[in-house]
Amino acid sequence: MATLASPLAASPEESALPDFASEAYKDAYSRINAIVIEGEQEAHDNYVAIGTLLPDQAEELTRLARMELKHMKGFTACAANLGVTADMPFAQDFFAPLRNNFQAALAEGKVVTCLLIQAILIEAFAISAYHIYIPVADPFARRITEGVVKDEYTHLNYGQEWLKANRETIRDEFEQANRDNLPLVRTMLDEVAADAAVLQMDKEDLMADFLSSYQEALLEIGFTGREIARFAAAALVG
Amino acid sequence: MFGLIGHSTSFADARANARNLGYDDYAEGDLDMWCAAPPQLLERVSVTSPTGTTITGAYIDSVFVPEMLRRFKTAKRKVLKAMELAQKTGIDITALGGFTSIIFEDLNLLKEERVSAVQLDWQRFTTGNTHTAWVICQQVVQNAPHLGIDLANARVAVVGASGDIGSAVCRWLQRQGVGELLLVARRPQPLIDLQASLGGGRILPLDEALGEAQVVVWVASLPESLQIDLAALPRPCLMIDGGYPKNLNSKAAAADVHVLKGGIVEFWQDIGWQMMEVAEMAKPQRQMFACFAEAMLLDFEQRHTNFSWGRNNISLEAMDWIGDASRRHGFRALALEDQPSSTAALAPA
Repeated sequence: MATLASPLAASPEESALPDFASEAYKDAYSRINAIVIEGEQEAHDNYVAIGTLLPDQAEELTRLARMELKHMKGFTACAANLGVTADMPFAQDFFAPLRNNFQAALAEGKVVTCLLIQAILIEAFAISAYHIYIPVADPFARRITEGVVKDEYTHLNYGQEWLKANRETIRDEFEQANRDNLPLVRTMLDEVAADAAVLQMDKEDLMADFLSSYQEALLEIGFTGREIARFAAAALVG
Repeated sequence: MFGLIGHSTSFADARANARNLGYDDYAEGDLDMWCAAPPQLLERVSVTSPTGTTITGAYIDSVFVPEMLRRFKTAKRKVLKAMELAQKTGIDITALGGFTSIIFEDLNLLKEERVSAVQLDWQRFTTGNTHTAWVICQQVVQNAPHLGIDLANARVAVVGASGDIGSAVCRWLQRQGVGELLLVARRPQPLIDLQASLGGGRILPLDEALGEAQVVVWVASLPESLQIDLAALPRPCLMIDGGYPKNLNSKAAAADVHVLKGGIVEFWQDIGWQMMEVAEMAKPQRQMFACFAEAMLLDFEQRHTNFSWGRNNISLEAMDWIGDASRRHGFRALALEDQPSSTAALAPA
């Protein structure tokens, strides 16, 4: 539609890629990269652990877990390529609240909670973050990340399908687990927003993309738009 | 299946709508939350043409509000995410409504190759501008005579003449035959090009055109600051408010100045939907933006293609085709008599 006085005063400038060799970039990258490496390691451990709760699925879960280790090696190579040492202690602290919740659920045999944390929340977040990273990544990391993101869909899909198949019985636990864990995603995002910005990854983009993937997964499981909006609000409001 | 991508007219309205639709948590959220919120498929409907053909469709709210216009990245993401949801839902043809198509064009989103993992298939989307342009032309030729305006001798100003809809309206009215076309727009060069392609029409600044025109077609968004010199308008004067948002009524309220909401159609029977209440239609069960109706028409006709796409591609042939389809499937252009408040209040004493 033509506009006499365009409400969009000017189109934004196309921004150039970040300076991958700058100290500021490498410093931020040391934490973001560590989170990714730690995330892949924990994903591996989590899928193996879920296999103990679902023995008939253990073989498939082990296969998924192995993919995560491969990703971890890829991202480790990305840090080496930029001459960066990943700040692993930072990443371990970063994941602690989510890890503790996962371990507690595991100890209680709560498979729905475990799947929500690992296969829905973490995978949906990873997919969104990787997608937003790819256009602003260095060429080496871009190639690695493009390969990884395809695999992560397989993982999200696994959780989705299992929860869908058990939709009738999971609702209460799912809702509670969502309430307990979704807000952590936002807190974690806030914690790395400044570092992500140095990598030219915008916090609002990350949150919005995550919520889209999350909404899509929950629709697939069989929740309605209103239910999902209620769930999502746990992360957005307050 | 057809799709409509729309949005609320303001953040305050959006929150009220969210509450009415059962999205209480969104209603509580602040603008930052709304910026991050994903699009929502709010309603599915089925629509039957007088021909007996029934189609089904879905309404997607992009969760965009005009308050986000200053946030380019947010606006861009809102549009692309809503389109992504339409495509993933398997909708064959989706119309971009309200600011959605303005954002799409002004931010040149055709450059965007992909949104997250989804490659958008442009064939599945239409701006709906061809039908909007045709409907606006119908509104001119149907309503001017009722006001005693003889179009064959009248001056018709098109404000926003060089735009996608504006240039199509000019071409159509020129073929129809009007006294004189007055061409108004922000930038001079596209107007000169338009005049050359039309082989006619007179280029004028807005205030001069308003002093001469008995019919004014507005297809530009009006700046808040715009003041219309009401005393200078010829009487009677027919104004078709075809821009977005439709805010002309408050600026041009005067005796014997008749403002008609442009680019709005009425369907031949009620549609069991809630969504046009959100768009503040007078008869929300039947009235809708012509651009939305274009998606329905393309679905009725099984013409699943980006019928209206890119700038200034609207041909007279395309307008004739969509016009025939519009009549066949039970749509008619909104008329002055459909707006009792505006005509009654503004008619001469």
